[in-house]
Amino acid sequence: MATELVKVTINEKTFDVPKGARLIDVCRQNGYDIPSFCYYSDLALQASCRMCLVRIEKMPKLQTSCTITVTDGMVVTTQSEEIEKAQRGMNEFLLANHPLDCPVCDRGGECELQEMTFDWGGLEERFTEEKNYYPEKYLSPMVANDQQRCILCKRCTRVCDEWMGEEAIEAGGRGAHTVIGTYMGWLDCSQCGNCIEVCPTGTLLDATYRHQTRPWELAQTISTCNFCSDGCQMSLGSRGGELMRVVARDRYVNGINGEFLCVKGRFAHPFVNHEARIRTPLIRYKKGGKLIPATWDEAIRHVAERLDTIANDHGRNAIGVVGSPRLTNESLYTLHRFATELVGTDNYTVADAFSLKSFFANLGAPLATHRDIRNAKTILLIGGEPEELQPLTGKQIRQAVRNGGAKLVVANSVRIRLTEQAAAFLHIRPGTEDAIVLALADEGTSSLAAQKTGLETKDIDAAREILANTAGDVVVMFGGELSREAQAILAQLTFAAEGQRVLFHPLPLFNNSVGALDMHMLDGAMTASEMLDACGSEIRAMYVAGSFLPQHLEGREDALAKLDFLVVQELFETETTATADVVFPAASYAEQDGTFTNNDGLVQRVRQSIPPLHQAKADWIILAQLAKELGLDFGYEFAPTSVFRSIAENIPAYSGLRYPLLKDESQPVQARYNIGQTDVSEALTAVRGSVEALANEGDKIFGTPKVGHELFKIGNLTDKVPQFHLLASGNPRPETTAISPLYQITVK
Amino acid sequence: MSTQITQIQPLSQPVELGVEPATFSPEVEAEIDRHLAKYPIIRSAILPLMFIVQRERGYLDPPGVLYLANRLKLRVTDIWEVATFYSMLHTAPIGKYHVQVCRTLSCKIMGAGKVTEHCSKKLGIKVNETTADGRFTLSEVECLGSCGTAPMMQINFDYHENLTPEKIDQVLDALP
Amino acid sequence: MRIEAIGCEPLQLRRVHLENSRSLDVYRANGGYEALKKVLDSMSPDDVINEVKKSSLRGRGGAGFPTGMKWSFVPKDSPKPKYVVCNADESEPGTFKDRYLMERDPHMLIEGMLIAAYALGARTNYIYTRGEYKYLIDIMDVALDEARAAGLLGEKILGTNFASDVYTHTGAGAYICGEETALLSSLEGLRGHPRMKPPFPAVSGLYACPTVVNNVETLTAVPDIIKMGGEAYQKLGTEKSGGTKLWSVSGHVNKPGVYELPMGYDDMEKFIMEDCGGILGGKQLKAVIPGGSSVYIMRADQIIGKDVRMDYEGLVAAGSSVGSGGFIVMDETVDVFESTKNLTEFYKHESCGWCTPCREGTDWLVKVFKRIDKGGGRPEDAQLMLDLCDNIEGKSFCPLGDAASWPIQSAIKRFPEDFKRRLQANGDHST
Ligand SMILES: Cc1cc2nc3c(=O)[nH]c(=O)nc-3n(C[C@H](O)[C@H](O)[C@H](O)COP(=O)(O)O)c2cc1C
Ligand code: SF4
Ligand code: FES
Repeated sequence: MATELVKVTINEKTFDVPKGARLIDVCRQNGYDIPSFCYYSDLALQASCRMCLVRIEKMPKLQTSCTITVTDGMVVTTQSEEIEKAQRGMNEFLLANHPLDCPVCDRGGECELQEMTFDWGGLEERFTEEKNYYPEKYLSPMVANDQQRCILCKRCTRVCDEWMGEEAIEAGGRGAHTVIGTYMGWLDCSQCGNCIEVCPTGTLLDATYRHQTRPWELAQTISTCNFCSDGCQMSLGSRGGELMRVVARDRYVNGINGEFLCVKGRFAHPFVNHEARIRTPLIRYKKGGKLIPATWDEAIRHVAERLDTIANDHGRNAIGVVGSPRLTNESLYTLHRFATELVGTDNYTVADAFSLKSFFANLGAPLATHRDIRNAKTILLIGGEPEELQPLTGKQIRQAVRNGGAKLVVANSVRIRLTEQAAAFLHIRPGTEDAIVLALADEGTSSLAAQKTGLETKDIDAAREILANTAGDVVVMFGGELSREAQAILAQLTFAAEGQRVLFHPLPLFNNSVGALDMHMLDGAMTASEMLDACGSEIRAMYVAGSFLPQHLEGREDALAKLDFLVVQELFETETTATADVVFPAASYAEQDGTFTNNDGLVQRVRQSIPPLHQAKADWIILAQLAKELGLDFGYEFAPTSVFRSIAENIPAYSGLRYPLLKDESQPVQARYNIGQTDVSEALTAVRGSVEALANEGDKIFGTPKVGHELFKIGNLTDKVPQFHLLASGNPRPETTAISPLYQITVK
Repeated sequence: MSTQITQIQPLSQPVELGVEPATFSPEVEAEIDRHLAKYPIIRSAILPLMFIVQRERGYLDPPGVLYLANRLKLRVTDIWEVATFYSMLHTAPIGKYHVQVCRTLSCKIMGAGKVTEHCSKKLGIKVNETTADGRFTLSEVECLGSCGTAPMMQINFDYHENLTPEKIDQVLDALP
Repeated sequence: MRIEAIGCEPLQLRRVHLENSRSLDVYRANGGYEALKKVLDSMSPDDVINEVKKSSLRGRGGAGFPTGMKWSFVPKDSPKPKYVVCNADESEPGTFKDRYLMERDPHMLIEGMLIAAYALGARTNYIYTRGEYKYLIDIMDVALDEARAAGLLGEKILGTNFASDVYTHTGAGAYICGEETALLSSLEGLRGHPRMKPPFPAVSGLYACPTVVNNVETLTAVPDIIKMGGEAYQKLGTEKSGGTKLWSVSGHVNKPGVYELPMGYDDMEKFIMEDCGGILGGKQLKAVIPGGSSVYIMRADQIIGKDVRMDYEGLVAAGSSVGSGGFIVMDETVDVFESTKNLTEFYKHESCGWCTPCREGTDWLVKVFKRIDKGGGRPEDAQLMLDLCDNIEGKSFCPLGDAASWPIQSAIKRFPEDFKRRLQANGDHST
């Protein structure tokens, strides 16, 4: 779609720029630097810092370039004595009440006010009066606050409102006594810390990183988050083999998430250097005995022998191989080869919450990228809870609606927070998500679906109406509630409309759930739960890279104990290692190179920020060594690049990919899944059957889940971060906010 | 089930607010409803409602704030951000009688300083202080539109103009 | 305190001295609601707007924008509801005319608003009154109930198909909420921050709908304009400034009060020395701030013997402006350094804090004034203050920033001696 161009003259040079573009952007894109604090693209205009002043012909007084949209023939001056004086004046005003304590400020060295002052500030300091004073304090376990440094650009309040939809932090007071804060001074929100990220000064600070290093002492490594499937790009700041902090500040990183991160991505990293990390290989020489440190050679040899005997005694299929959806593609690919080529078992899988196999098998349209979501015209969300489980997706949806005027259609058994933005909310009975998919695929079933979901037919028709009347992009999202068949039907959905494009956005739970599928780890004969049920009978030994999820072990607590032999690769001791015979120390995402594939199908780089801790090794290296011991050489010469090359050669969707092609996170590369028509008539019959079998009445779930009910859940990793225990226990307001809220708990 | 935009309860409130929302008599509730009825968007009623809560509870205390948040379908921090912007709204306790002496130019040149001084002496408190018995709070405020009848003070909502020391004494002594 | 018309028949002040002037009966008995009847019977909305245009009525709130033109900016075709909002926030220091209009003649305002609502097609209208004027809100509510009961509000007004209603709304103590866009933010239940213009309220105002914001005195002028016709009203004043204007006189005069003068009243000196009874205690006139605090301060010698004409053009020519008509008279005992400090403290207190120059600038200026006041003045302070004002003026988000700098700029220029005295003061006590 070609945009109309207009002529704009800036400092005597004329440019053709897109009609309706913002003057400040136009100037910057054409090399005229314009200072600003409050302007932040894709947030509501503020025009309060008054730094971005320019002179426009035929306009009285200086104008704020952040509020001006260019018009044809506009003549602009961005540099002159008058403008410079004004900008120096503004900067001087901002510094008037700003303490000059940069040497002790965590932001020192990456502070926009500091930089602006060097570039645009006045030289002599004329403000000799007393500065307004506010004490430092904590707003939450994650957010520290030094009010004095605030320049009231209100980026924080705007991201909290527009990105997060939480409006947890606001401006209070008036005039020179305006402060950023909350009622009662305690911040109860999802603790994403994006207010910290966008703060140009040291006003809002990472409480977990307070006074630890100066920014310039940190080695910055661009990598991919290892929590949810959104795959945010982030900068790992390390010093001396220790991971000190995580930011998305896009001066370092320019990924799909811009400056956005969620509470886990930003604050849960301390697990990496936690002292509970498994340090050496461990062997349990006799059942019920203790795990005893061993050398790598000894442990590898031990495992090789035992697997060999079990294969000989019980057959190869008696050995189950299980991977974690947190592993890199490199490790999962190697694990698949380990299972199929070396062990030769049919029983391998990934311990994930649900499988997207039949969705991808029937994919009828491309996957949406997060940028596509932001620009969508209509978004259909069936099940799931992105604001808690895929926070970046949640933010993109919110902005699509608030800033982009998109329509959001939600079908969910719970009134999730995103329904605040919804144009249509189908409040269905729990477990009836399939019925909605059916009704959308086949109008004839509307009344059936209505009956089973507890809606009225007109509600469903209204939703279908919105979808059918959308010109532009419709993004279809879904969570783990859908059956295999419903996934297939959904993957083939279309809504007849002019100039419409359907895009899909699955909502798996883990950073590499999609990669695990691509690496064929879900082609095995059993699911994780089935495999646990088979322990001691069909399955006599198991090789687990990672751990099972609580929901797998629930009701099957003693399954693993029934095994003759259990090998686990892990960072920490878990329920899964409890009965393991051998445990290998695995390296975390921060200690290795590799790739994750996110829910956009983007293959993104994981980069080593610190050397492996203790004796830990990347999972794929452990497997390759074990394979060597058993007489098979994967031929990787122990370089992740060569593993990835092998992936590219054997996995069609990844063909032609190489690390160098993935090096720029601002140009992410999407895996090439094959897209096409498939016959889902059987699936339709099956789903109609299962929907008809649903009860005709049943209770609905009322109330909106509390912010953080999923994000703050304690898992194996967040368990290692004391702040998360405070959040998990309801983020209580401490007696005093003058010292770190951590004083409330004894850190183990 | 509704398919319109869903107005839902505040999602993000300070935990441990540790109080129940305030409750009011049917008469007051009716008064509140009358205000809400004036506007197409409920949030518009925030200032009138704040004055009512303040009148009923002395100031905007946590139960009052929680009440407002629920009634207006806002977050408590939204109440805070508005309450702290306006000089007539109080988020901290204040005297039963709020003695507000106008300090702006017309009153100043007509002797506002003496008025403040006299009140201060008589009440035994400095500006911005409250008497121990909680009866009086003394403040200096900006122009109240009595410049033609300066100097003046406002006690709660009542104007007292063309003030002389004698008149100030009468007014203050007459208060129940 | 006086309330009277001088040099013209009382128009706005016609009823203020009558017994029960507030009541509907007295209002009707003295020509009330005839204009509304005339409008509903015989005029189209455009006729009304044209009459107002002919009257060359200019906004009495301070900006002096031609009212008829403002009304004509409202898009006729817009499907959205439209609103008329009366600005009764009257917080400009030295201004108290709106207060007496509402206290003594509330129905005149209601009639004016209804005529505006008819002209603009507004179904709902609000009177935004400053919170301190609570007793006026009560008076207006009584009057509105009377009017409603008499079929002058609500459906089928005066038996016609015209339907419109007026409600009171309270502010809560914020000068900035007198600024029309901040007023609308406040009316929407938000912090009283001004909004970006464009879009102007006429296009996107209250709830993003077309809205006209007018001052009380502007709206109360409308019934007479309709009754006597735009031209007749204009002729009461000058060509560019039609009609009569209320001046709120305060400070060192023998007869402070609200005076209604024809626009273009010929001599400010005569007004002060005779009409307002001269300077208190026979002292010498030193300075006048003629249009509320937000205008240039005038020296006595800019007034005495200068035949200053009291209308928009005349006051600009004389080096100040009409503003809100808050006429503050200061005698020889006043120290202009002090009076300027006082006003700067006002602006600091009332700055909404949205934009950098006003928020930080007024805070800084007050600190400088206080230092000087404590004897810490330095010769370069005058230059510093002027430069700070220059960095605020024309760069702030809304006009309050300008309003804060003008008194200082004019005071330092026109009363240098009052500043010099302090600045030569004994050295630097500031640190
Ligand atoms: C800081 C500031 C304060 C203002 N205060 C008032 C006020 O108290 N009353 C008023 O009528 N207009 C006030 N105005 C002017 C309004 O913005 C607006 O111009 C006026 O209400 C329009 O009505 P009018 O055209 O009838 O004058 C103020 C403007 C500014 C910039
Ligand atoms: S100039 Fe700026 S800070 Fe001052 S009142 Fe206007 S917007 Fe607020
Ligand atoms: S960036 Fe334009 S005013 Fe702040």
